[in-house]
Amino acid sequence: MLNISDLTIEYSSGGYIVRPISGLDLRADAGHLVLLLGASGSGKTSLLSVIAGLLTPASGSVRVGDTEVVGLSGSALTHHRRHGVGVVFQAFNLVPSLTAAENVQVPLRAAGWRSRDARDRAAELIARVDLEDRANHRPADLSGGQQQRVAIARALAHDPPVLLADEPTAHLDYLQVESVIRLLRDLADAGRLVIVATHDDRLKPLSDEVVDLTPGAEASEHAPARHELGSGDVLFVEGDRGDRVFVVESGTIELTRNRDDGTEELLTTVSDGGYFGELAPMLGLLRSATARAVGDVVVIGYSLRDFRDHVQPSSAGALLSESADAADA
Amino acid sequence: MWLLSWRDLQYRRRRFAIAVAATGLVFAIALLLSGVSSSFTTEIDRTVAAFTADRWIIPDSAKGPFSNAKAFSPNEVVDSVKGAKQVDAMVMNRVVFRSRDVVVFGTEIGGIGPRATTGRDVRRSGEAVVDASLGKAVGDDLTLGGTRFRVVGTTTGRTIFAGSPTAVISIDDARAIGFASQPLATSLLVRGVPHEVPTGYRTITNATAIDDLARPLQQATGTINFLRVLLWLIAVGIIGSIVYLTVLEQTRDFAVLKATGVTGRSIFRGLVVEAVIVAVAAAAVATLLALVIGPLMPLSVEISTGTYVALPVIAALAGVMSSLVGLRRALGVDPALAFG
Repeated sequence: MLNISDLTIEYSSGGYIVRPISGLDLRADAGHLVLLLGASGSGKTSLLSVIAGLLTPASGSVRVGDTEVVGLSGSALTHHRRHGVGVVFQAFNLVPSLTAAENVQVPLRAAGWRSRDARDRAAELIARVDLEDRANHRPADLSGGQQQRVAIARALAHDPPVLLADEPTAHLDYLQVESVIRLLRDLADAGRLVIVATHDDRLKPLSDEVVDLTPGAEASEHAPARHELGSGDVLFVEGDRGDRVFVVESGTIELTRNRDDGTEELLTTVSDGGYFGELAPMLGLLRSATARAVGDVVVIGYSLRDFRDHVQPSSAGALLSESADAADA
Repeated sequence: MWLLSWRDLQYRRRRFAIAVAATGLVFAIALLLSGVSSSFTTEIDRTVAAFTADRWIIPDSAKGPFSNAKAFSPNEVVDSVKGAKQVDAMVMNRVVFRSRDVVVFGTEIGGIGPRATTGRDVRRSGEAVVDASLGKAVGDDLTLGGTRFRVVGTTTGRTIFAGSPTAVISIDDARAIGFASQPLATSLLVRGVPHEVPTGYRTITNATAIDDLARPLQQATGTINFLRVLLWLIAVGIIGSIVYLTVLEQTRDFAVLKATGVTGRSIFRGLVVEAVIVAVAAAAVATLLALVIGPLMPLSVEISTGTYVALPVIAALAGVMSSLVGLRRALGVDPALAFG
């Protein structure tokens, strides 16, 4: 149903290239509810955008059924957005001037459905999400949960095989969460692939599969490793996952960041006795810089625990404070 | 996607109502200016045609029979004109009646010249046929150039120089007012086409006579036309601003629509429809305003049926043009914003 391979997503932010997802592989089948878990910035929404055909990845492949989504354009892309996937947005994003039923009709009318057929189909979907009595109300007159259910009905307008939901519980109270999650579960049980991006791990028990996009989630307890680098050798690249903190034994490491104009910006250099790369494993972030040797360099890579033992900081706060003078990679 | 356009118009009805009112007022002013400009032309056409002359004879030194008429002794000239069926002298005077300029034409009794549309023509000295815009009816008396006249007939719409009423009196009375009763004329009215006129005189057509009347108004007409263009631009600007504001407010909506498979072309069509509806509604408001305000204007306002019919068409085009302002932005909305 969904087959993602070696997917890398990049975009420009504040003049820098951000790579929230690098080399992702993922496979999911129809009838499953897949949770994409991860902190803010881990790439959940970017991944949904790529699957929905709204964002072009830097590289990799995304197949929905028999359709290769990457590279679609024109009418093929429109067809994919209409019939390949349905999207439920975090903030509901209903058109405020339209009633609930009309919001559901819009994708159908845009696809050339006759008015009466679109009305009938919208009524059917509104009934499916138990909102018959609110069908003629505008979004402003609906609760968050009701709006979310209308958004789900809209996403189902063309009966797509894949339903994407971005933080569907973010703006809901627990009563509304229950009805929305139950609805998503039912949709998956009916043979549809439902992919839910969330940072709410309470949803785990309802899912068939969990994909944790948090970088460094697989914290290692490896023994310290010694790395001998020649001039220009790269220790890690911006956007990589990182589970090590590095201490420079001898030589100099430069930390650079890619700008969106294709140039590199030198952030800092770290020399004998200095350390870098501690924030990625500590906070679960991707590497935000590239580490490259300037001349011959020897560095020791430590797990976070070993690093704490090595530098003996009094607390995580102290470690952060110390690291302020070093690279924030 | 008429549904989106119609619902958006309803949802933002106050804003669109203000836009319709403002644009309607601008259209109305443009319409009234068109009417004023048009009246300049039509009054001239009507008045010149009322003389029922085929040709006019004037001194070479005169620009025309109206704008800078030169007095001359007509008797010798009339005798020297060859090929005409009839040649009559005419005197034009400008007098003041109750603070209004009145153009007085003195013509031969029973000769070539303007006729009354109600009442009867001038048959003797002391009688006048006046335009209704002077506010006099048959049987009324009035004083023109210090001479008292009895109104025996009236005309309608026979004005020149942007609304100055005309009056027809006997040529003797006109000579008494303007030339101390000397036997002079300012032009000759001709039936037929003369093939010879005396040296120092020339024959002109009705078209040249019309040009002569239009010349003093050229600057005014040019200014009015310039203002009309400015008003159209203002109207386009108002509608364009409203459409652009709508686009700005609906950026997220457009992103969501695109994400759900609505094409940029459909979105643009919706914007055009909204702009055209606003423009045509404004044209309707303008038509009503012009019908109400027109008669209250000090200047004559003559708006043709064709202008009323053309207004909504031109307004619709203005709506389309103004919606182009929002086009680029609407088409450029990134559907990924729907996730933002």
